[in-house]
Amino acid sequence: MFLSPDHELIRETARDFALQRVAPGVRERDEAEAFPHDLIPELADMGFLGIYHPTEYGGAGYDTLAFCLVIEEIARWDASLALTIASHTSLGSGHIALAGTHEQKERWLTPLAQGKVLAGWGLTEAGSGSDASGMKTTAVRDGAGWVLNGSKMFITQGSVGGVFVILAVTDRSKGAKGVTAFVVEAGTPGFSHGPKFHKLGMNSSDTRELRFEDVRIPDANRLGDLGMGFVDTMKVLDGGRIGIAALGVGLIRGALEESVSYAKQRSQFGSPIGDFQAIRFKMSDMDMWMEAGRALTHRAAQLKDAGRPHTREASIAKLYTSEHATKAALEAIQIHGGYGYTKEYHPERFLRDAKLLEIGEGTSEVQRMVIGKKLMG
Amino acid sequence: MIRFLGIFRLLKIAKKSAFRMNFIVCIKQVPDVSAPVSIRDGHLQTDSDRMVLNAYDASAVEEALVLTEKHGGRVDVVLIGPEKAKETIRKALAMGAEAGFHIPVEDGAGYDSAGYAAILAAFLKTHSYDAILTGKQSQDTDSGLAGGMLADRLGLPYAANAVGLELEGNALLVKRQGDTAQEMVLVPLPGVVTCSNDMNNPRIPSLKGIMASKKKEVTTVSPAELGLDAAALKPATVVTGYRNVPARNPGKKFEADAEELARTLVGLLQNEAKVI
Repeated sequence: MFLSPDHELIRETARDFALQRVAPGVRERDEAEAFPHDLIPELADMGFLGIYHPTEYGGAGYDTLAFCLVIEEIARWDASLALTIASHTSLGSGHIALAGTHEQKERWLTPLAQGKVLAGWGLTEAGSGSDASGMKTTAVRDGAGWVLNGSKMFITQGSVGGVFVILAVTDRSKGAKGVTAFVVEAGTPGFSHGPKFHKLGMNSSDTRELRFEDVRIPDANRLGDLGMGFVDTMKVLDGGRIGIAALGVGLIRGALEESVSYAKQRSQFGSPIGDFQAIRFKMSDMDMWMEAGRALTHRAAQLKDAGRPHTREASIAKLYTSEHATKAALEAIQIHGGYGYTKEYHPERFLRDAKLLEIGEGTSEVQRMVIGKKLMG
Repeated sequence: MIRFLGIFRLLKIAKKSAFRMNFIVCIKQVPDVSAPVSIRDGHLQTDSDRMVLNAYDASAVEEALVLTEKHGGRVDVVLIGPEKAKETIRKALAMGAEAGFHIPVEDGAGYDSAGYAAILAAFLKTHSYDAILTGKQSQDTDSGLAGGMLADRLGLPYAANAVGLELEGNALLVKRQGDTAQEMVLVPLPGVVTCSNDMNNPRIPSLKGIMASKKKEVTTVSPAELGLDAAALKPATVVTGYRNVPARNPGKKFEADAEELARTLVGLLQNEAKVI
């Protein structure tokens, strides 16, 4: 497929931004596990925090394909920042865009899409992730409102987010149909976050546990119909997985570009190592993974933009690119030899960041379950 | 209160209108110079078909936008090139230029700087402006001639290789960079200034800018409409081919103790280089 001139311009814009504003300091941010607070207003100005949300609600009014292009360009240098953008846009903001009323979108989606506030999204718990039946967090009717109790685990933007979408059990007897989504704003009494998780990678993305102790919210904060939380969650995740897939494409590209550039300047036995077939074959494979991964990702994005079913395609794209991002990072380290094993070069970070893609928003095993279910009915 | 606000607004408008500047920036689409290029049989070969806005022109667009944001006015851009080059007009519009003019010519029409200057001059005679900006050269040919030739054809004052621009009364104060000092040149308006890429860091268009650029007008003006005769534009100079820079002969390497090395070196300087 070819990109339209519009999408080409968006890609070029995102590439220039990533090179000029994101690439500098990426290793330092990773090392310091520092959330890039200063980059958020710049992302907002660029329109990168509401790419496919409607202009009516503060977004840039583009589509999922444009979103994929931006995520890839950012992830080429800084997967942590790409994860911040992807999760903010497709999960927290995405759930409000999907299930919110006009009033709810005006109130929450607008500042989110404008990038004035970051969104978090709480599904995973200490004892449950993709299996809704294990969910412990509850929301109980209390007069005109609700009272939330429980906790959520590994929540991206946990301490830097201002608006959170939280899934909670409203009727235990109904299983997955007894889960409802609620909006909880930071600062609501009883709502707090735990200390920073020290992770293998994605170090400058903020990951926290969220805690709810008698958190009272009005019914106006209920997102979507009662009991529809998990059904909507599945749709939100379909979109989220496309973002993760684009992130994987960016990481494969990073691994490839760093490898090619190193293979040109590193000489052994009297010639650049890129002249050796052993190195060329590795890079050819990485190039193929990047192209294949991008094609899968863009196809899923276009199906979503056309309003067509894309659960299977999003899972395939996410599964393929995340597993190959890890492989590509390993190959990049191998090509870089001893230097690749140091933190002076990018590939070791690519490896640590890539591994998350095989876990977040449904593990590779869950993706295979999703795809298998589509095959077997 | 409302009356006060009204007066302030009027004052603001009056202040701005005193300095309103209409810029026209001549831009060019060039091949992405970061892509690898090789020479085969006297022809340039490149794997990439990615075309970009000439970086020096991008600085000219940026500077014009900064000045109009400060003093009021508008920025239009004009580009000579094939249909595909309209993408580059879009980029300038997404940065903030208000309207674009496309002068279509065949891809590989082979104009030299004089040809481009003649077309631009013919177009600009039909257009009103206070100042014409353009890059000091284009990244593909590096000729650096079109700006000066254009000023000559229009009979306008001209300054080249600006690293800074300020509006001073009814003139542009052009900052030029030397090795150890800066030169300030006052260019009365209307005038032509060519810009260095050391001038600024051109803005990256936002998604909002890209969206807005779709609604901006791009007018096509053919060379025939400008009354130009194709024969007159025929280049006086012709690029006959390309070849690699001949590799330099490798230097000689000597290994010996200091005394022996000094003796060898003096011998070579006397007998081979004949400098002592």
